[in-house]
Formats: sequence, C-alpha cells, structure tokens
Amino acid sequence: MLKLLERILSVARTTQVWKSIFRHGFPSTDSNRALVMFSNVILHLHPVRVRRGALKIKFTWCLGGLTFLFFILLAISGVFLMFYYVPDTRRAYSNMKDLGTVIYFGNLFRAVHRWSAHAMVFSVWMHMTRVFMTGSYKPPREFNWVVGVILLAITLVLSWTGYLLPWDQLALWAVTVGAKMAEASPLLGSAGPFGPELGMTSSNDVAFVLLGGTVVGQSALLRFYVLHCLALPLVTALFIAVHFWRIRKDGFSGPL
Amino acid sequence: MKPGEKKEGESAEEVSRRKFFTMMGLGVGWGGMVAALGGVGAGALRYMIPSVLYEPPTIFKIGTPDNYGIGVDTKLKKERQIWVVRNERGIYVLVSICRHLGCTPNWFGDQQLFRCPCHGSIYDTRGNVVGGPAPRTLWRAAISIDPVDGQIVVNFSTRQDPDPKGTAEGLMVEEMSREVEPYFLKV
Repeated sequence: MLKLLERILSVARTTQVWKSIFRHGFPSTDSNRALVMFSNVILHLHPVRVRRGALKIKFTWCLGGLTFLFFILLAISGVFLMFYYVPDTRRAYSNMKDLGTVIYFGNLFRAVHRWSAHAMVFSVWMHMTRVFMTGSYKPPREFNWVVGVILLAITLVLSWTGYLLPWDQLALWAVTVGAKMAEASPLLGSAGPFGPELGMTSSNDVAFVLLGGTVVGQSALLRFYVLHCLALPLVTALFIAVHFWRIRKDGFSGPL
Repeated sequence: MKPGEKKEGESAEEVSRRKFFTMMGLGVGWGGMVAALGGVGAGALRYMIPSVLYEPPTIFKIGTPDNYGIGVDTKLKKERQIWVVRNERGIYVLVSICRHLGCTPNWFGDQQLFRCPCHGSIYDTRGNVVGGPAPRTLWRAAISIDPVDGQIVVNFSTRQDPDPKGTAEGLMVEEMSREVEPYFLKV
C-alpha cells in the first residue's frame, strides 16, 4: 500500500502540473538547498534576473499594475460605500440615491467605485491580451496564466454581483437574465443539458443556490452583497498574492 | 577661491534662476499634491458625518391639550419615550429616561409613582426623586402650541434640568420654579 502511494507520488512529480507548482526537488542536495533560498519569496522578493527589455513600458504597458491599482481603489471606495448602504430591498435604492444626491462626497465615492470597476474589467482583458501577444503564458509561466484566468473569472463575477446592489430596474433584470443563464448550465441547471436527468429542478439547481430562491428578491440581494463585499474580494486578494509571488519567481519573459 | 565657497555680500545671488524655478516647480508640485490629498482626506471625514437621518424626529406633535385629562398619560411612552402629565394648573411632558443609568421607568397608578426596573429609582408625578440611586430629577421636555392646528409640539432634545443641589429639598425641586415657559402650558 505504501509502495503504491510512493509510486503514484513519483509519477505525479514528473507531471507538468507538479513541476509548474514546485520548481525544485526536496532540499536533499546542495543545489536544491540553494534553490530553496533563491525561490523563497520572503528571502528574495525580487526576481533573480530581469532582462533590460522587460522593464520597458512598451513591453507590459503596466496593465497588471493598473489592474491592481483599480482593485485597491475599489476596495477603499467600496468600504466607504458600505457605511451608508444597507442590503435591504426596501432601503437599497434610496441608500444609493442618498449617496448620489445628499451625502457629502457620496457621489464621488460611488463614481470612483463604478468607473474603477469598469476600468478593472477592461484592464484585465488588456493585460491578458498583452500576456498572450508576448507569449508570456508559456512554460515556466503556465501556472501563473492559470491563476490569471481564475482572477479574470472572479473579476467578472465581482462586477456582476456589484451590478445588483443599486437595486434598480437595470440591476434586477440583468441579474434575472444571469440567473436564467445559470439555470441553463449543463448538469447543474434545471433547464440545461442533462440537468433534469440528474434530478435538477427549479428549487434545487445552481440558480436556486445562487439566488437563495426562485426570483431575484431579498435573499438574492443579501447573497450578492456578501459575495461582493466579503467572499469574492478575499478570494481575489489571495489569488493576487499568489499571482504576484509567481511573477517574482518566474521573472519577465522579455521582448520577443 | 573654490567653486563652492561664498563671497561676502553675494549670498542673495547664490540662487540661480534655474535653481529658483526648479524649487518653485517642486514646491508647487508637492504642495499641490499635499493639498489634494488633504482635501480628499477632509472630504472623506466629512463623508462620515451623515447628511440625512432615518431616526424618529426630536420635534413632534402629540395632539391638542383637551386630549389629556388630569394625571399621568402613558400612551406615548413606547412610541415617543414621554409621559404627558396634567395638573390643576396645566400640562407638562416628562421624558421617560431614568436619570440613574438611562433605563425606562414604569408608571404605577395605584402608588402614583414612577419606578425604574433596573436599580429601583423612584420618582413622583412631578419627576422628583423619592427613592433609589437617581442623582437628579426627571427631565421635562420643551412644549408649545402650534398656532395653526392647536396641537402640542414637543421638542424632545430641549429639556429642563434643575440642579438638585441648588434647592433646599435636595432631590425635591420646588414645583412652581419648574412650571415656567417653555416647559409648562397653562391650558
């Protein structure tokens, strides 16, 4: 049994996935012990080697840094908005209107949050386009590309969950459409391929869990609020940390 | 003479035009940034002071004086935190907040006393302390008559608070000194 486990591990260590996450063997040899020090993010925060060309603005266009700047702006302005916004269907819309018309600086914080959100979605796409164009997704950076794709997905979900919070007609129907799309997802949706065959109905499928009901109502607003303000930003920060760590370790690919 | 050395009487000319404008530019740039950050910081602080409140109003109407008979009326205690009291001379409004630690006392009609459930403070119908730990008499809220519809207007945040040490009776305040405008209506 132990032998089988060892064999599985030894095979797993030769796979690309394992090698993209763990870059060196166990610190049993002098060279591996040196690599442990070199690849430690705290001991060596900067990449070991950066090519001159990779530092040019025209190589990266600072798009990843801009995305991070927008994320910081969103976090700060979002915390300020949370002081006046209550995720209650009877109060959310008037809270939003108060921020826009009555509260000092309220319109500014709301505008910063809104425009930063649009800008972040845009800059994430541009960042990924740049990475694709310069071939920076290729090994040994394929691990960070996967982290980046996850971050793109979270960014889009953050944008979508924030869309519901003003609780106006646009928000309600946009999320209704989104929930209908979730309903049509394969296997997990009651209206999707193989969904009904797996026992999915409108009261147990993925859209039901997402909305906390069958219509976009109070429980949907509360779920989207918690996802938007707590769960997704935390997950995003975690993946951003991993993303930055990998950039430091892998370095920049340099101009083609 | 070395290049860095100063001649006497020439210190004013030491600053070249280039250096002057460099310093000015840096001053305007950094000063502008500090001013902008300061402005945003001040605005963010101002943001934390609410411009609109969703609280019960502190000035409200409680109906015309002929709605209130002789004695203590407790019907507004839950909604407005007040007792409306009429005596032979007129009407006053007691605030239902115990002066000890801020609990809400109860009215006992058979004893003609307000008793606080928290620590046992006891007040009479005039708000004087007749027992318990309360250090001051009950507040009376400012009242007036609305000239249009004749209703009593209560200003909950303007309160009469006589100093009990200033009276010979201690926690008993002389009643006629309390029955003054705007805390008493001769109706």
